[in-house]
Amino acid sequence: MSLFGSLSISGSGVDAAQTWLNTIAGNIANMNDVSKTDQAAYGAQAPVFMPNAIPGQVGDGVAVAGIQEGDTTGIVQYDPTSPQADAQGLVRVPDVQLSSQMVNMIQAQTDFQANTSALADAKTAYQSALTLGT
Amino acid sequence: MDGIVSALQFAVNAVAQQQQATANNLANTDTPGFTGQDVSFEQSLQQAIDAPNGGTATVTVSADPAPPASNGNNVDTATQLVNGQQETLQYQTMVEMLNAQFRLVAGSTGGSFT
Repeated sequence: MSLFGSLSISGSGVDAAQTWLNTIAGNIANMNDVSKTDQAAYGAQAPVFMPNAIPGQVGDGVAVAGIQEGDTTGIVQYDPTSPQADAQGLVRVPDVQLSSQMVNMIQAQTDFQANTSALADAKTAYQSALTLGT
Repeated sequence: MDGIVSALQFAVNAVAQQQQATANNLANTDTPGFTGQDVSFEQSLQQAIDAPNGGTATVTVSADPAPPASNGNNVDTATQLVNGQQETLQYQTMVEMLNAQFRLVAGSTGGSFT
């Protein structure tokens, strides 16, 4: 483990929470997308978290292994005034629920805060170590 | 005197590892299937101190026995945050103890006690 290991571990946690917040922001921004019925709808994105495990030792934080894309089937709606509407007046919209995105956002935010709190703890401890012998 | 310094030195390093485990558990609060880690050293250190001919203390990393939630993760954020605070205070206390020992040495060798 590197010097000041806790700082990099908490940093990886903050990064992961930030990635999650970014995907949620993207999902909410694209909630009202409209696509043609012969095209795929926007699929809600979610990060895939993986622990940086070290066997027999304290782990080294978290990594975002990738971004998982949700169902692109979406919902077919009747909206004849849309420029994307087909001959029957149908369009495809994303199946993204605002409520679940908001719940995820609260979780991601709490995650972020918990990691910054751990970061502050580690900083205080390391600062006290720097007073040794003074 | 030497025993105190080496015991404190060991404990400071061990608490730093506890803090790393707490940071790691908090970083993985939303990782599916993640099992939290516990770091313990207190019993081992006590045994080493009590041993008549001096013993060797070890730091043990073990899995958190808490039951997992529906996503297979068993980290409780609140517990970890409390642990983080506790470890920081413990760390600071031990650093202060080490400094007190160093001041004693400095004072008794002609330097300043403060």
